[in-house]
Amino acid sequence: MARIFKYAFIFLWSTFVLIPLSWALVTSFKPPAAVNNGATFIPWLQFQPTLDGWKDITGVSGYANLFPPLLNSATVTFFATLVSLTFGCMAAYGLSRFSYGWKHYKNPDIIFFFISQRIMPPAVLAVPFFILLKTLHLLDTKVGLVLVLTSGLMPIVVWLLVDFFNQLPKEIDEMAMLEGCNPFEAFVRTILPLSKPGLTVAGMFAIIFGWNDLFFALVLTFTNVQTLPVAVVALNGTVTPFWTLCASAIFSILPLVGLAFVVERFLSKGGFAGAVR
Amino acid sequence: MKGSTMNLKLANVSVEDEKEVILKDISFDFQPGKIYILIGRTTSGKTSLMRTIAGLIEPTDGEIFLGQERLDEVPIWKRGIAMVYQQFINYPHRTVLNNVEFPLLRAGVSKADAKAQALAMLEKVGLTEFKDRKPSQLSGGQQQRVAIARALVRNTRVILLDEPLMNLDYKLREQLREEFRVLFKSTADNVTIYATTEPSEALFLGDELLVMHEGRIIQHGKPAHVFENPATIDVAQIVNDPPMTVLDAEIKDGKVNIGNLITFPTPSHLKSQKDGKYKIGTRASEVILGGSESNSEEGVVSLSEVSGSETLLYVKLNVGEVVLQLEGIHDYYIGQPVTISLAPSRIFLFNMDGTLCAAPGN
Amino acid sequence: MANWNVSQSGLDWAGGVNWARMFHDANFWSSLFRLFYFSFITTSLQYVLGFAAAMYAWKGFASRRFFRVLWLVPLMTTPSVMAIVWRSIFREDIGAANGFLRLFGVDAVAWSTQIFPATVTITIAEVWQWTPFMFLILLAGLLSLPKEQFLSAEIDGATPWRTFWSITFPLMAPISIGAIIIRLIEASKIFDSIFNLTSAGPGNSTETPAYYLYTRGLREFQISYGATMGLMYLILAILTLTILGQIFARVSKPRGL
Repeated sequence: MARIFKYAFIFLWSTFVLIPLSWALVTSFKPPAAVNNGATFIPWLQFQPTLDGWKDITGVSGYANLFPPLLNSATVTFFATLVSLTFGCMAAYGLSRFSYGWKHYKNPDIIFFFISQRIMPPAVLAVPFFILLKTLHLLDTKVGLVLVLTSGLMPIVVWLLVDFFNQLPKEIDEMAMLEGCNPFEAFVRTILPLSKPGLTVAGMFAIIFGWNDLFFALVLTFTNVQTLPVAVVALNGTVTPFWTLCASAIFSILPLVGLAFVVERFLSKGGFAGAVR
Repeated sequence: MKGSTMNLKLANVSVEDEKEVILKDISFDFQPGKIYILIGRTTSGKTSLMRTIAGLIEPTDGEIFLGQERLDEVPIWKRGIAMVYQQFINYPHRTVLNNVEFPLLRAGVSKADAKAQALAMLEKVGLTEFKDRKPSQLSGGQQQRVAIARALVRNTRVILLDEPLMNLDYKLREQLREEFRVLFKSTADNVTIYATTEPSEALFLGDELLVMHEGRIIQHGKPAHVFENPATIDVAQIVNDPPMTVLDAEIKDGKVNIGNLITFPTPSHLKSQKDGKYKIGTRASEVILGGSESNSEEGVVSLSEVSGSETLLYVKLNVGEVVLQLEGIHDYYIGQPVTISLAPSRIFLFNMDGTLCAAPGN
Repeated sequence: MANWNVSQSGLDWAGGVNWARMFHDANFWSSLFRLFYFSFITTSLQYVLGFAAAMYAWKGFASRRFFRVLWLVPLMTTPSVMAIVWRSIFREDIGAANGFLRLFGVDAVAWSTQIFPATVTITIAEVWQWTPFMFLILLAGLLSLPKEQFLSAEIDGATPWRTFWSITFPLMAPISIGAIIIRLIEASKIFDSIFNLTSAGPGNSTETPAYYLYTRGLREFQISYGATMGLMYLILAILTLTILGQIFARVSKPRGL
C-alpha cells in the first residue's frame, strides 16, 4: 500500500518538475502559428519545430544576443563566489575559534547580525548601494556588481562555514599553534586542507544565489554590463514572442543544470556529512 | 630547539571563568630532568593546568616563568612546549612522517635534517614501517605513538602529556607505559609533566607526584612517600585504587573503637595519639576476610566486582561500607553474609578534618 | 549596511512624517498580511513535499540518483526566468494551463484576472522553485543520520510509518528547524516571481512588501519612505524570527533532544 503511494509521489512530483521545463523547451521550437492560435504541446504532431526562437537569442537573426550576458553572469558569479569564499572562510574561522565580544554581544550575536543582512528586502538596500557605487564610479561595472553580490553572499558562506568549522576538532589547530604556527598559519596549514567539503557546499550555494540574482543586477547595471537574468527579463519587458522567450529561458538555465549533477555526486559521496547541521 | 636546563615555575596561578574557579592559586617549581606526575580526579584541574602552561588558557591571575623569562607573556606558538592529548590528535591530511617532520620544519630545521630526525624518532616508537600512511589508517595505539613522536622530536624544554593512555585498552596501556619509561630517559634535560588518574602509572613513571583536587595541589612529593603518607583523606582516595575504606572511630582507654562493633588495642604506631574521635582508613588490599576476634565484624556483600585477576568486594557493615580486594576470581552474591577483619597495624589515622595523624609502616 | 537612516539620505530631515504615513498606509499593511500567507504556506508546502521527496530519494530504489538530480534542477534555475515561463503557461489565451484544461472540456481559468487563481500561480511557481532547496538540505541531513537507531527499530519490528515518526522525524528536528527558518527568511523577500508573473496583480492582490517597497521606493523615487518601510519590515521580521526560534526551541526540548 505504502509502495503505491511512493511510486505515485515520485511520478507526480517528477512530472510537476518537468512541466515548465518541457513546456519551455517545446515552445522554444514552435513557429508563430503554434503559439498564437492556442496552446499546442506535441512537436511534429501539432506543429513543425523551427529554430526561430533560438536564432533570435543567439544573435543570428539580429534580435538579441544572449552570449555576452552569459559571459557577464559567469564572470561576475565567479568572482563574487571567490571573494566571498576567501573572506568568508577567514571570518568563519575567527568566529569558530575565537571569542569576540563587546559588552555582552558575543559570537552568536555577531553571527545573527550576519544573517540579518539577508532579511532586508533588496529594494531597501538598492538605494544605498546605488549611491555607494555611484560615488565610487562603479555603477554599471562588473566590479561594482561583484562587490554588491559579495555582500549578499558572505552571510550565507559565513553561516555555513562557521557550523562546519565548529565540527572540526579544535585540538588540531591548537596542536599546530603549539608547534609553532601563528593562528593564520594554523588555519591555512591544518584547517583549510580539511575544509574541502565545507567550502564546496558554501561555494555551491554562493554560485546558485549569485548567478540567479536579478534585483541588484537590475538596479545597478544598465548598458555596459548585463547579466543573464536581466537580459531575459528585458526581453520579457518588450513585446517578445513566446518562442523566443522560452528559448532564452532554456538558454539561461542550461549552465547551472550541470551543477545539479555535481551537487548530486557530492551528496552521494557523503560530502554533506557535517557540512549541514 | 635544544633542551637547556631551565625550570618551569608557576607563581600563584589562578584561572577562573564566569561560573567557577578552575585553578586556585597554584605555585610550584618544576625542575628540568624530572618526570612530574599530576594525579587527580577528572575535574580536578589537571588538564586545565597543562593547558594554562601551554598557553591555551589565559590565567586570570599569577605568573608563569621559564627560567628567567615570563612565559605567560609569550604567544602560544613561540613558547616551545609540546603536548600530547588524550584523544589521539594528528594531522589527518598528512602522512605519519610528515606529521613528525612538521614541528621541526616550523622550528626552522632544514628539510633534510627534519626528515632524518623524524625517521629516528619513528624508529624509537616503533612506527618506521608506517611512515607513509595517513593517521586514519593506523590503530589507536599507533596513532597515539605518532602524537608522542611529534611531541618528543623537538626536544622542547617542557613536555606535557594529558592522560595519553586513557583511550587505549588495558594491554596497550601496559605496553606503552614500559615504552614511556625508556623514552623519557632520553629527555633528560626537560621538564616532563604527565597527567593521569591511575595511581599505578604514577608509581611506575614518576619522579615526583603532584596530587590535584578541586583546582589545587593538595600534596606533592615522591610517589612512594605520598602513597605511604597521604596528607588528607582526599589524597588517600586519589592515590588508592580501589579506594580506601574510611570509618569513624574513637581512641579511648588504649583501644581503638569503631562504632562499638570493632575494637582492638591501639597498635604501636598509634600509641602516641591522644584519645578522641578520629577517622581511620585502611587499604582494600589490607582488609582481611574472615576472622572472629574483636577486630572483626559481620556484614553482607553489597557489590562484587571482578577486575582483571582480582575481585573487589563491597561489604556493608553496621559501621559503614568496607572495600576488600581479593586475589583471584571469586563468586559472591549480593546479600551474602561475610565476616571482615581489620589489620590494626595497617591502619591510617586521620583527624576529623581529614588531615593525617599517623600512617602505618613509619 | 543594514540601516539607512532618513536623516543621512541627504534629503531634508522629515522627522516622523514618513513613519506616520506608513502607519496609515493600508497597502503596506495588507502587503505584510499577504506576506504571512505566502511565506508560511509556501514554506510549509515546500517542507512537506521536500521531506517526502528526500525520504523517497534517500535509499533503497535503483534509479534514485537520477531522480535526485532531476529533483534538484529547479533549485538551479533562475527564479525570474522561470517566472517568465510560468507566465507563458498561465496566459489565459495561449497558455499551456488553459490549453490543457480545454482538452478535457474544462472551462478556462482566469489566471491573472482573478485573485485566487493569481495567488495559486504564485504559489505554484514558488513551490516548484524552492522545494528542491528543502529537499537538498533534508536529504543531506538524512544521509548523515547514524544508522544504529534504525537497525534497532528494524530488529524491534517497527513499521516504516512508526519508524518515521519516532526516529527519523525527531532526529531531523534541528536540521528541519534550520531549513525552515532560512527558507522563511528568503521567502519573505519574494520578488522575482511577483515581478515577472503577476506584477502584483490583479490590482494589488499579490503585492508583497518587497514589491511594494520596490514600487514606492524605486519606481516612484520615494526613497526615504521606502527606507522607513524597510526598517519597519526589518523590525517585524526579527521579532517574528525570534518568536519562532523560541517556539521551535521549546518544541524540540520535551522530546529529549
